[in-house]
Amino acid sequence: MRTRSGVLRGVVLLAFLLVSILVAAAVGSVAISPVNVGRMLLSRILGFDSIERTWTAAEELIVMQVRLPRVLLAAVIGGGLSAAGVLFQGILRNPLADPYIIGVSSGASLGAAAALLFFIPAGLGWYGTLPLYAFAGAVGATFIVYRVGLMHGRLHPTNLILAGVAVGALFTAMVSFMMVFKIQNLQDVYMWLMGSLSGRGWRQLGAAAPYVLAGSAVAVLFAPKLDVYLLGEETAHSLGIDVQRLQKQVLAIGALIAAACVAVSGVIGFVGLMVPHAVRIWIGPKHTRLTVYAFLAGAIFLVVADTLARTVFSPIELPVGIVTAMTGGPFFIYLMRRS
Amino acid sequence: MHEGRLIEFDRVSFAYSSEPVLEDLAFGLYPGQFVGIVGPNGAGKSTVLKLMNRLLAPSKGEVRIAGRSVSEYSLKELARLIAFVPQEPEYFPFTVRELVTLGRSPYRSGYGSVSPRDAEIVEEAMREAGVVEFADRPVDQLSGGERQRVTVARALAQKTPILLLDEPTNHLDIEHQLHICRLLQAKANAGMTCVAVLHDLNLVASYCHEVLVLDLGRLVAHGAPGGVLTPELVQEVYHVHIPDIRHPVTGRPVIAP
Repeated sequence: MRTRSGVLRGVVLLAFLLVSILVAAAVGSVAISPVNVGRMLLSRILGFDSIERTWTAAEELIVMQVRLPRVLLAAVIGGGLSAAGVLFQGILRNPLADPYIIGVSSGASLGAAAALLFFIPAGLGWYGTLPLYAFAGAVGATFIVYRVGLMHGRLHPTNLILAGVAVGALFTAMVSFMMVFKIQNLQDVYMWLMGSLSGRGWRQLGAAAPYVLAGSAVAVLFAPKLDVYLLGEETAHSLGIDVQRLQKQVLAIGALIAAACVAVSGVIGFVGLMVPHAVRIWIGPKHTRLTVYAFLAGAIFLVVADTLARTVFSPIELPVGIVTAMTGGPFFIYLMRRS
Repeated sequence: MHEGRLIEFDRVSFAYSSEPVLEDLAFGLYPGQFVGIVGPNGAGKSTVLKLMNRLLAPSKGEVRIAGRSVSEYSLKELARLIAFVPQEPEYFPFTVRELVTLGRSPYRSGYGSVSPRDAEIVEEAMREAGVVEFADRPVDQLSGGERQRVTVARALAQKTPILLLDEPTNHLDIEHQLHICRLLQAKANAGMTCVAVLHDLNLVASYCHEVLVLDLGRLVAHGAPGGVLTPELVQEVYHVHIPDIRHPVTGRPVIAP
C-alpha cells in the first residue's frame, strides 16, 4: 500500500514539475501561452514535424534561448541542492545540515569573488570562467574541512561540522576583506553571494547538469545504506556496513553536487535545508523515496522561486536566494508547527 | 583452537591509546548458551562485546568466531554471524516494520526489494519480540521498553547464530526485563548463542546458562551462575557483603544485601 501510494505521489510531483517548467518558460515580459511552449518543445526537442507552428520566430527565440535553459537550470539546481541536503543531513545525522555545511559555499564564494574582483572584467562574469573558479574554491574548501575533520583516519560528524563552521568563517572573512579593497565589480559579487540565475543559459546548464544529475542518481543508489546508517554507527557496522567508507563516499557525492550547483548559481540558500525536511515530514525518512522526492520537490520550488524572482519586480530582477528564503522560511515554520 | 567453541578469546588485550582496558582475556563460549557478562562499571564489559563483532580490534591476541579470526571475515559475513543490540540505539521515525526489515540488509544485494522470505522472517522476529501489535506505528512514538523490543526484533531478523546485547534491560521495568531475559533464554535453548552485558546479578543468576565476571579488565570468574555468583566473589568484585541466599524454588543464588 505504502509503495503504491508512494509511486503515485512521485508521478504527481513529476507532473507538477513538467507543468511548472512549461508555465515558467511562458511567463515573462513577453507573455507566451504555455500550450505554445509545450508545442514548441515537442516540435523542437522531440522532432515532431507535423506540429503546426502557432507561435512566432521571436517567441521561439525567447523560449529556446533565454527562458527554457534558465528554467531547466533552476530545476537542476533546486533538485541537486535538495538531494545534497538529504545526503548531508543523513550522513552527519544532523537536521541543521545543508549542502553548504562543510565549506562548499564559502569556498565557492572565495573563488568567485577573487575571480570577479581580480581576474574577470566587469559584467562578463557569467560568460567566462567564473564557474571554474567557484568550483575550484568549493572543492578546495571541502578538502580542507575534510582533512581537519579527520582524526586518526576516522571521520567524526561533529568535528566535520565544527571544521566547516571554522573554515566557512575564515573564507567569508577573506571575501569581505577583498570587497573592502576592490570596489569595481562589487555588484556582481553581491549578486553571486545572494545566489542568482540571471543571465544563465545552455552553457551553464551544460556545465552543471552532468555532475548534478549523475551525483543525484548515485545518491539514490546509496539510499538503502543511509537507511541502515540512521540506526547509528555501531548498528550500521553490525549490519555489514563499512561506516567510514560510507561517510567518505556520501560526503564526496554531496560536495560534488553542491559544488556544481554553487559554481553556476552562486549561493542559493535554504533550498537544501528546507526541502529535505519538508519532504521527510511528508513521506517519512526512507532514503530512496526521500532522495527522489526531494529532488523533484526542490526542482519545482526553485523553478517557481526563480520565476517570481524575475517577474514580480520586472524589469528589476531579484537574486533568487532572497525569494527562496522569503517564501521558504515562513512555509517551513508552518510545516514544523503543524507536524 | 578448542573443538566446538563458537566464540573464542585467545589471550586478548585491548587498550585505548595507552590506557589498558582489557588484559589477557582467554575464554571460549559454546553454541546454545545464554551468557551474562557482569562486573563493576569500567570493568570492560562492553569492550568484550565490541571485540566480538569487530567494532574494536584487539591490541594483542585474537578473537575467533567459528574457528576463524574476526579480522578475516568481511563485514557482511560478520553481519550474518553476529547481531548486535547497542546500549543506546538511535531511532528515526521509521515504522516498526520498516526498522525490523533493516535487519535483513546483510542478505540483500544492493537494491533488491524485500522478498517474501524476508517479509516472513521479519514477521517472525516481530512476533518473538512481542512487537507485532504496533508493527505499523512509528518507532519514535513507542515507550522505552517497546523500542528496546523493536531493536531486539531487528537483531533477531538478522537470523544470526550469535546475538550480542549491551545492557538490553537498562531503563526497563521488571516485566520488560523478564520478557527480554526469557526470550534470550528461549533463543539459547533453541541453539542461538546470546551474550549480554547485564547489571542485574539476579537476572543473570535466574536466566543465564553461564556468566563471565570481569573486574579491572581481567576475567575473574567464568562458569554457571550457581557456582560463580558466591558471596565471596561479590565481596571481592563489588566490595559489598551479601548473605548466602538461594531461591526457594530454583535453588539459584539470590543477590540481596
